[in-house]
Amino acid sequence: MTSSLSMAQNDQRKRAAAPAPRRHHRTLKERLEPYLLIAPTVLLILGLMVVPIAIVIGYSLYDNVVTNPNPVFVGAANYVTILTSPAFWGAAGNTLVFTVASVVAHMVIGMAFAMMLNSKTMARVPRAIFRAIYILPWIFTASVVAVLWRLLLDPSGVINYLLTSLGVVHDAVPWLGTASTALLAVTVINIWSGYPFFMISLLAGLQNVSTDLYEAARVDGAGFFRQFASVTLPALRPILYSMALLDLLWTTQQFTLIWATTGGGPLGATEMLSTFTYKLAFNSYQFSMASTSAVLVLAASLIVAVFYVRRQRKEAQ
Amino acid sequence: MMGNGALGRWRRPTWKASVAAAATAVALLVAGCAGGSGGGGGGSNGNVTLTFSQWWAPEMPSGALQNLMDEFHKENPNITVKLISAPFQSLQSQTISQAASGTLPDVVGLDGSWVNPLYKQGALLNLSDAMKKANYDPKDLASQVGYNGSTYMIPVVNFVYPLFTNDAILSQAGISKPPTTWSEFAADAKKISQSGSAKGWVVPLGTTNPNGVQNDILSWAWASGGSMLSNGQPNLTNNPDVTGAVNLVKDLVQSNAVLPGANALQETDKVENFINGRAGMMIDSLAHINTITKGNANLKFSVSAQPVKDGSTGTPGMLTASWGIGISAKTQHSAEAWKLVQFLMDQTNNSKLSTLANGFPGNKTSKPDFTGADPHFQQAFAIYQKSKPVNEFTGLPAADQLMTDFLNEFQKTVAGQESTDTMLSNVQNQWKQQF
Amino acid sequence: MTAISKQAPTTARTAASRRAVRRGAARTGLYAGLTAGAIFAGFPVLWMLSSSFKSNANIFAYPPKLFDGSFSFAPYLAVFSDPVEIGYFANSYIVALSVTVVTLVVALLTGYVFSRYEFPLKRIISIVIIGVQAVPPITLLIPFFGIMVALGLYNTYQGLIITYVVFTLPYAVIMMTAYFDSLPKEVDEAAKVDGASSMSILWRILVPISVPGMVSVGLYTFMISWNEYLFALTLTQTDDRRTVPVGIQLLMGQNNYLWNEVMAMSILGSIPVLVLFLIFQRYFIGGLAAGAVKS
Repeated sequence: MTSSLSMAQNDQRKRAAAPAPRRHHRTLKERLEPYLLIAPTVLLILGLMVVPIAIVIGYSLYDNVVTNPNPVFVGAANYVTILTSPAFWGAAGNTLVFTVASVVAHMVIGMAFAMMLNSKTMARVPRAIFRAIYILPWIFTASVVAVLWRLLLDPSGVINYLLTSLGVVHDAVPWLGTASTALLAVTVINIWSGYPFFMISLLAGLQNVSTDLYEAARVDGAGFFRQFASVTLPALRPILYSMALLDLLWTTQQFTLIWATTGGGPLGATEMLSTFTYKLAFNSYQFSMASTSAVLVLAASLIVAVFYVRRQRKEAQ
Repeated sequence: MMGNGALGRWRRPTWKASVAAAATAVALLVAGCAGGSGGGGGGSNGNVTLTFSQWWAPEMPSGALQNLMDEFHKENPNITVKLISAPFQSLQSQTISQAASGTLPDVVGLDGSWVNPLYKQGALLNLSDAMKKANYDPKDLASQVGYNGSTYMIPVVNFVYPLFTNDAILSQAGISKPPTTWSEFAADAKKISQSGSAKGWVVPLGTTNPNGVQNDILSWAWASGGSMLSNGQPNLTNNPDVTGAVNLVKDLVQSNAVLPGANALQETDKVENFINGRAGMMIDSLAHINTITKGNANLKFSVSAQPVKDGSTGTPGMLTASWGIGISAKTQHSAEAWKLVQFLMDQTNNSKLSTLANGFPGNKTSKPDFTGADPHFQQAFAIYQKSKPVNEFTGLPAADQLMTDFLNEFQKTVAGQESTDTMLSNVQNQWKQQF
Repeated sequence: MTAISKQAPTTARTAASRRAVRRGAARTGLYAGLTAGAIFAGFPVLWMLSSSFKSNANIFAYPPKLFDGSFSFAPYLAVFSDPVEIGYFANSYIVALSVTVVTLVVALLTGYVFSRYEFPLKRIISIVIIGVQAVPPITLLIPFFGIMVALGLYNTYQGLIITYVVFTLPYAVIMMTAYFDSLPKEVDEAAKVDGASSMSILWRILVPISVPGMVSVGLYTFMISWNEYLFALTLTQTDDRRTVPVGIQLLMGQNNYLWNEVMAMSILGSIPVLVLFLIFQRYFIGGLAAGAVKS
């Protein structure tokens, strides 16, 4: 224990002396305490997330809400329509590829950059500069990221210019306009704009990894990779796990980036569940179908959430 | 600021204080402020504030629309207009959401592709009734959009889509004048693509905004007097005009006579490619004239009518997009709202508005003010007067989805996955479900 | 490699020089990696910066040049000379800072409970908090909008703030829980045995040593509230409540695209976040807060 904590403890000891006689009340208070503390979160999530979601679930059971003033209850009919629609499954497949590739890349790049930035061999000033550069992709709103990358990836844009000048490709490639490269292109854009978020959280997490552990590993003769595997990774596991889960859920609903770059095309190559749902809602005004598709995504994500919570519980035990 | 400083100073933390603080913060947020609820406010003294949502103000010279509203206020001292300007790309989903929750502004700017769902939602006021109440004679209105014999949207300003040609690129390819027929156009586009670094034509086929279907594919059929509808129903199969238009564009894309990457291009990309000399020709909104001259003051270009099908006679069609206007069905001030519409459609004001927007007036008797305007503007007006304004997507149900369906199938036929006939019959079937 | 270094210190000199060489190589490798990463991260932004100084037409010129004859500050002056656009920045500050404070306070309480308490509803609440995040926000637009209008929060700062608090809370809660989980329980259990109240433990022991985590959560919250577009547009109506992303989008019109001003405004919009990051990055430097946990 270092001094700061033991000081705090001494402090606690002093302060704890006074309320000691009330100790027998604690059991009831203790039982209520967690509920009181999480009340703000629960109220907010309930009122502004769960209620709208419940309304959306309601929408999904009617034939056509919003545009039809007198919608008719149709039960699960919309679910049958959506689940038997090849377009939905196509979009689900693209979403899966896009999401998994993005999450893995975010994690690998975020980890690599965080490790590099955390390196003790670097002087303070270059470290600060690199840190600032590395978070840059994160700080722009999605529609601007889309505009920027459309510009960069244009057949007469700078990336094609560099590639053709260097002889990597012979003719300029319309990355976003070619069915075979569009999914790759949007994934790269998403990787670019999303990794700093991993990096920052991991950087913060790395500060909690004891240097003594590295020291001990080094004494045991562990090299860089062994140290990484036996010290860094285990220490960061809770953070990595939470981040991966969140990123999985967020990337699934990534909309603006896709919409503003490809709109789901060409030939449906980048159609995601989010763009599929949007088109149902605001291109064909089938809000019930759009709600159905959203509820299916919700159901899938709840399954992921259940696994996450169950695993966390195991870890806690 | 970021929590640490503020929280660190909590000298006597107790759980009660923490919860109280959090609860207060939340309560303040929830309970606070009742102002700013939507719709227009009516004063007890007979003063009325109208809200007017549109995407027009950012498209016009700064403050121009506000000036016009100030003039309206001068004429009607008891009515104040509050402009709500939104980005065009998102205004559609905004307007639909507002309509769904009953907060549609009193007067709404409308695009032809979303008037139908709003009408179906019952969100729009019957303008025919409003006209009757105000004893307004609509004889001067160039067009009206409506259902079941009643008007729900009035086009205020019309934007035409002529053919823009880059003079230098054309002459470099040995072309002396802009093409007037499909075959000339196709031949010229190929000639340009083979003679230099520029491509013949730029056609945006991106799915984000599928209006390339309307502007760059079906416009060819309309220009030649063709139609994609028959008695209000889709009529794409066995339709030589539509088939011809599809084949024309398909041929040019397949023979690399268009700017590469068409599948990712949007309407917004046309102008910049044209200014930078990457495409010799484009079908584009006349509203872009200022962007072109500002972007490249030395560019010599011509404006002409969209080429027609070989052998086509009769009045040519000219693709037109409109800034439409409508009134919320829930407005408390329908008479005042109509006054504003009438003001904007009035001969002088409509002329002013359309000149500021580089468009043509929705009032038949108005003339755009050509003084100080780009000479191309006057040329285009001459073409406009000789042709029939047309846009068959205006007012159709789910117009964006119709275009998206068309575009998806078109991309397939360009990629060689299906023939033009298969494509058109597929689109026909998909469209029928929407009608 | 390491095995050799352990077994072969025959002479202190060779070992030392070998170590120096290895350290030199490691440093070269590190800087090579850092530079490659910086190009990946920074080049697109550099391109954005250069575009913000070009004329609209030259942004699309070929061959593309980093700086060309059209270099001018005009796009920035256009942003600065428009009081409405300055107002967008002010609104963004008000909203983003408020959201950051509220979210952090609420999430600290919840994260603490999730990390240190067991109670019957814990699992179901966690699942809901996590699960709701994957619903495409666009589908929530219409019901959410209706609720905000019903609460009288349409076109208010409060409406936007509460919306973003709800959007950022799940992440903040999950991350604060994870950070608290990564702190050994002995730390607060010892204090508890000494009779400290749970709130004292949270604010006086856990919060001070969780500063890096709080900074990263705070930055995230600020970022989301600063950059969110869809709800910022939907829940506001007038220019005096709108935020920077809406302002940027208004520059990309139907017939009128001011690419250079879009870029300029994005650059300007990114500066506050960058500054915040630079201010708070000292919390990422090891040893400051983490010392307390190392045992």
